[in-house]
Amino acid sequence: MLPAAQENSDGVIAGASRALLLACVVAFRAAAQEAGDVRLETGYARVDQKGFRPADAALVAVFWRKPTDRFTLLTSGNLTYARDSLAAAQGVAAFVFPWASREHLRTDVGAAGATFSLHSAGRGGNGNGFLRQHYVADLWGAWGGTAFGLSSRSGNRSQSYAVDIGAWTRWRAIFASASLSRQNSDDFQLLYASGGLSTSGAPTYEFEDWQVVASARRGPHELTGSWTRRHSVAGTDFRAEAVAVAGTLQLSDRLAFLASAGRQLADPVRGLPQADIITASLRLSLGPKPLPVMERATIAEAFLQSEPGGGVELIVRVAAVDSIAVQVAGDFSEWKPVFLEREGDYWVARVALPPGKYHVGVRANLGPWRAPRNLARVRDDFGGESGLIVVP
Amino acid sequence: MNMHRRVLTLVALVLASVSAARAQARGPAVLPIADAKARVAVEREIARAEARGLPTQPLIAKAMEGVAKQAPGEQIEAAVASMAKRLEQARTLLAPSTSAAELASGAEALRAGVPAAMLKQVRAAWPVERSVVMPLDVLTELVARKIPAKHALEQITALMRRGATPSQIASLGQAVQADVASGLEPDAALEVRARGVMSLLPSPASVAAGAPRGSGKQ
Repeated sequence: MLPAAQENSDGVIAGASRALLLACVVAFRAAAQEAGDVRLETGYARVDQKGFRPADAALVAVFWRKPTDRFTLLTSGNLTYARDSLAAAQGVAAFVFPWASREHLRTDVGAAGATFSLHSAGRGGNGNGFLRQHYVADLWGAWGGTAFGLSSRSGNRSQSYAVDIGAWTRWRAIFASASLSRQNSDDFQLLYASGGLSTSGAPTYEFEDWQVVASARRGPHELTGSWTRRHSVAGTDFRAEAVAVAGTLQLSDRLAFLASAGRQLADPVRGLPQADIITASLRLSLGPKPLPVMERATIAEAFLQSEPGGGVELIVRVAAVDSIAVQVAGDFSEWKPVFLEREGDYWVARVALPPGKYHVGVRANLGPWRAPRNLARVRDDFGGESGLIVVP
Repeated sequence: MNMHRRVLTLVALVLASVSAARAQARGPAVLPIADAKARVAVEREIARAEARGLPTQPLIAKAMEGVAKQAPGEQIEAAVASMAKRLEQARTLLAPSTSAAELASGAEALRAGVPAAMLKQVRAAWPVERSVVMPLDVLTELVARKIPAKHALEQITALMRRGATPSQIASLGQAVQADVASGLEPDAALEVRARGVMSLLPSPASVAAGAPRGSGKQ
């Protein structure tokens, strides 16, 4: 590539990255005004890269989550800074679209931009995008996705793409997933910074990763461990294994302590080099009381059982951990919330309904009211939804 | 313990319904909307609706739903005003029916996205003296399940003309729900289930000859 064109492409990537970061800042300001789900995180990181002195860095991050009737917007911006050796800023915007007509399907799509200055892998920027399709059942799910990234590093432009497939399952409070991904890139500077060497004359290199992740959740607390095995498929002779653990301890409604330790393998799509990283940070949640993470499909189900004397018994069942509070409300209770009771692995409520039409909502930990997943859903005039039941 | 909780829940529901009945008798002055300005506006809206001969219970229920969902006062006010408008529209579309239940069902159908003209078609499918509450409710449920409104209307009005009872129409909605829960496409479930109900009904000729199997008013 000609130097002028190279500079131009560097400028485009850096410009796009800055634009995305700016969009994130604007989004956070808007979020603060709307008192959405905003989280601020600050802490410490120790970054150790092969061939370099370990660097002590400061972390600052902001997350904003905005659910709407049709999608959830997730944005984040983060800054990692270590004097004289490492500085990186990243902005991410992602949309999560549940399929209204196919309850089990969900599509995630997003883009991210970053600028960085790394003593190991040069100065520059990265822009990337991803698309991932999920199938979400009650206790298991699967996904397939693809991602594409452009990096500019000390004047050299590179491109990378990745495809991945995976599946997860949940048993009580344990969540486990296994995935396979392939990553192809011509970002050789990143490969060298990660301890790899290229095969002579190869225009690109390719990795194959197998990853297993297991996490245990109890209410808002979470402990996750991951193991990744990487081997090269083309362009390099590289093998690596990575183990990482991360935990979240919710200290109060709004304050959480987060810690992680382990190896981050090089990520060509996002332009990140391999490093051993230890972090410790505090997270402050603003806006509404934070909810435990639950897949939409596990929120609630409703069943109707005919009663001998007419009408039905409505049974609302929620598959969720026992450390949360679940309520049901509707026309039948004048919208006064009724607590569900624990029955085995489920939260359950039983309500006798005479013939007629009813709206039903379920919520966890005082969060937004949701329609049980298998009922017809109608908008509720308050930015949410209700389930609709017609009893003969 | 479980039984004890269920009894308590039942008692709470009974008390809630008694208190709602009292509230209805006393009018909307007891609405627990924290924002005083919004509360006055909602009460005024309900009083206006009452003066126009519209049912007030759906408006009170909508306000209560907003309170339970901790919606801002102005949102509750807008939701109640919007519901009043839909009740008014439903009254025009379902004329000469004026029962509170039919207007509430019509308003709900409009909210769920049923085109206004379809309310007229549902009303026209049965004699005026028969309530169309159940056909409207099932139509609303089917449309909320993303079944094209035209298709849902065709099936329901066909059943109505063939003399289906309200309970047969309601069971259609329930059967579709069960099919969808087990993975069938809503559209396909409606097609199959409507045919099933249709097979239980007398032929069009016998309906035309004045021998409906429908049990009459709901």
